[in-house]
Amino acid sequence: MRLQKKHDFPGKLFVVEGVDGSGKSTQLDLLRNWLESKGESVIFTEWNSSNLISKTIKQAKRSNTLIPVTFSILHATDFADRLENIIIPALKAGLFVLADRYCYTAFARDVSRGVDKEWVRNLYGFSIRPDGAFYFQVPVEVSLERINNMRAPGFYEAGMDMGLSTDPRESFRIFQSNIINEYDSMIDEFGFHVMPATKTIHEQQMLFRKKVSELLESDN
Amino acid sequence: MQNENTSPRPPERVKHEYPGKLIVIEGTDGVGRSTQTELLKNWLAVEGYGVTVTGWKSSVLISNVIEKAKSKNALNTITFSLLYATDLADRLNSIIVPALKAGLMVICDRYYYTAFARDVVRGADPQWVRKLYGFAVEPDLVFYLKMPLDPLLRRIITTRGSLDFYESGRDIGMSTDLYQSFKLYQSQIMFEYEQMMGEFPFVVVPADETPDKIQRCLRQHVGKLLDRATNPEAMLIS
Repeated sequence: MRLQKKHDFPGKLFVVEGVDGSGKSTQLDLLRNWLESKGESVIFTEWNSSNLISKTIKQAKRSNTLIPVTFSILHATDFADRLENIIIPALKAGLFVLADRYCYTAFARDVSRGVDKEWVRNLYGFSIRPDGAFYFQVPVEVSLERINNMRAPGFYEAGMDMGLSTDPRESFRIFQSNIINEYDSMIDEFGFHVMPATKTIHEQQMLFRKKVSELLESDN
Repeated sequence: MQNENTSPRPPERVKHEYPGKLIVIEGTDGVGRSTQTELLKNWLAVEGYGVTVTGWKSSVLISNVIEKAKSKNALNTITFSLLYATDLADRLNSIIVPALKAGLMVICDRYYYTAFARDVVRGADPQWVRKLYGFAVEPDLVFYLKMPLDPLLRRIITTRGSLDFYESGRDIGMSTDLYQSFKLYQSQIMFEYEQMMGEFPFVVVPADETPDKIQRCLRQHVGKLLDRATNPEAMLIS
């Protein structure tokens, strides 16, 4: 499967992963500024944003009638469409592709929803392996603290479809902990570069840029 | 929202234990699946069985997305594959499984075998597609309506009036000659079905017979599945 192999396109693919509020989007945006300031051409793509299907997913979420498998394949469809129409052409053209969430998001979320681990990995087997996958790690306690200060979570966001608890906040706490555990278990499986959330935004960015530079050098 | 098909298992399939029965009618374009489905449905009703019919690519959730994408000819192999899988997952959850639970006879005009044939011809990995559909209930009976290529091509062209872009496999650039492309594509689809005859317990039904004769054959097998005395001659066309 393609996900297991190093790609041989001239471009570079870097992805960020982590739970909501882990700071990954901020960091990716700063990385983009840096790459562009060095004269690189950068393409940016985020989870659930394809022209083909993202609207359908949003509509289906509103109706609260999706079962985990359907949910899972819908997101894979969105991803496949972006992979073929955005990511691969850009990599072929030698560009930098920055992805805010990648197939690992599905591995964490779908498995937390009770979908079979091996099945969802097979499902995304067509993915291109990133040149670097950065995991913005937030300890469960910190994540839950942030959650307490947040707006009420959405139905699927809180994992309410799982019947974990009838209280949305309690459900969210359990679901979120499961997602973090899944991410942690993927560190070795997929060779994530772990970005500790305890550092300041600036320190994290410097570390991020350093790692990206090292990865680019080791490739040349 | 707990559901039996929430946790897909890779290939080793398990027989369902619902009171209803799942009957699948498979075959390439133009072999007469819809006619046979209709006849079978009416007959089962006459015999006193509740019936639900569901066609390929008919879910409320996704079928219009597929139509739109196809009309723009904008689908690549994997997206194509995943859209159809979403369609079946949605119909399993909203139509098929509830009907089986309620003890109905469910007739599927095409099932995942269609995807196994089409997606593989479009270049998808056979194992990948089979695992992808690991979430789906295994049917109780699968009919494969089989017809030789030449009469099949003549039949599709006469009934459709013109050749369809996807039915001709033009999306995979087989040939710029539409007829050649169509012939090549349909023969490859047929080849995939033939391969599956060894892999799955297909009941192979010669589809170049008269509709009544084909229908009698289907009823005979369905009768056996129901394990009840039935009248296979009711409600035939002639």
